[in-house]
Amino acid sequence: MSARSISKILRGGLRDKIIAGIVILVAWQVGVQTFAAKFVAKPLNIIDVFPTVISDPDFLAAAAATLLAVVQGLFIALILGTVVGVAMGRVKAIDRLLNGYVNGFYTLPMVAALPLLTIWFGYEENARLATVIFAGFFSIAMNARDGASAVPPEYLEVCKAYRAKARYVWFDITVFSSLPYLIAGFRLAAGRALVGAVIAEFFVSLDGLGMYILSHTRSFQHNEAVVGVLALVAFGLLFEQSMTWAMKHYFPWYRREGGGS
Amino acid sequence: MFRFLESDKTWVKYATIVAGLIFGGIAWEIFGLNSNPAFMAPLIGNVDHPGAAPRLIANFSDEEFVESLIGSAQLFSTGFAIALITAIPFGILLARAPRLRVALETYVLMLYVTPMVALIPFVLAIMGFDFWPKVVVVSLFAFFPILYNTLEGARSVKPELLEVAKSFRTGEVAVWTDILVPYTLPYALTGVRQALGRALVGMIAAEFFLSTSGLGKEIMISSRTFDMAGVLATITLITILGVTLMRLAQALEQHFAAWRGLNR
Repeated sequence: MSARSISKILRGGLRDKIIAGIVILVAWQVGVQTFAAKFVAKPLNIIDVFPTVISDPDFLAAAAATLLAVVQGLFIALILGTVVGVAMGRVKAIDRLLNGYVNGFYTLPMVAALPLLTIWFGYEENARLATVIFAGFFSIAMNARDGASAVPPEYLEVCKAYRAKARYVWFDITVFSSLPYLIAGFRLAAGRALVGAVIAEFFVSLDGLGMYILSHTRSFQHNEAVVGVLALVAFGLLFEQSMTWAMKHYFPWYRREGGGS
Repeated sequence: MFRFLESDKTWVKYATIVAGLIFGGIAWEIFGLNSNPAFMAPLIGNVDHPGAAPRLIANFSDEEFVESLIGSAQLFSTGFAIALITAIPFGILLARAPRLRVALETYVLMLYVTPMVALIPFVLAIMGFDFWPKVVVVSLFAFFPILYNTLEGARSVKPELLEVAKSFRTGEVAVWTDILVPYTLPYALTGVRQALGRALVGMIAAEFFLSTSGLGKEIMISSRTFDMAGVLATITLITILGVTLMRLAQALEQHFAAWRGLNR
């Protein structure tokens, strides 16, 4: 396919996308104006308040607080989850001991555990951090386990043949060959962590984007609150895009798996 | 010395799994008995430290709790059913109309990554405290994972197939039953599995933050009165329900996964 026809397809797709976007926005604006109460957010009003919100120090502080908690929690969850997951994938006994728990906690909606976490960690920022770690840990551990048990046996045989030390087998072979799985798990964990942070903020009334949205909807400033939601979407897309980029850049030979586990 | 633990014999496997459960139970019990009852409850417990397991069993003869359970089940099934019957046909329709699919893909992705919890305050402000706002929350949580994955399937429909169908003047019904559904269904089921987990989160979140009801209310009341046995019993019940639903969805997904092999 020639370069020109590719760019033609791209441009055609882009035009359709823009038209669809405009149709959605117009439908939203007109629909809300005719049917809904006055305080409900409308695209034009959102555009109107957007610059003021973006330059509002309270908003920036809230966004920074949420993002920091999510990044911090994900970092801890990534390290713990990789260690536990790789151990589960490599040692059958550990897998059998822990798999039921990891699966169970993965399925448990973290909202349900929130009252418990607030009693254990107090009504403060630790509760949010704990929720983020709790939300991220299990999906990373599950994927790391799948990755570690899917190491091609040839690699392990070569290790054995050359009498490689256990630490090389674990860190140089297993962790690296399960990287695509880890990235899939991390992508999943990032989404869950963001949700966890927002829920924790609702529940504990911590300063952050969740609280920003909650307090502005309560005072019927929905347009401002929508900007908060947009910031969350931007964070979500940022994580998603950076993972897709990492996959493409470092593991071009792996096909993208639909949605992860 | 521990070599036998690595063997794949059935009895070794099940013995380790059972041992894991027993170890976990004992650890929970010891931790629970040695901490403040307002902080942690043991599994079985005694008079001073009421346990979670007896509480879970007692809950089933408690009329109020059973009512909550039924209320939650109604909320979950209504919300999930609405998401299911809207998202899958819409996803397949987008497979039929590739141009529309390309136009909408980006927006679906954006909504898919939107943390839906952030929309709960809006639902509350606009729709109020009834049963239906909660259904809307559950549907919102479940809708986009299903739609996003069905779209992924729609992308896997080969345009050649649609072209061949067109040149043989295939009827619209046959195009749907023979091309679109078989290609998108396995992906849609992956979405259904993801959506089950998310809808469960949505259900509890709706029950917490909108009008409190159902299992969410049970957790809320127990935690406000520092009745840890009650909190842990309800959380355990939710986990059991979640794992069961997940297993069912996984079995269904596996059953149709073979269809996916066609396009790899």
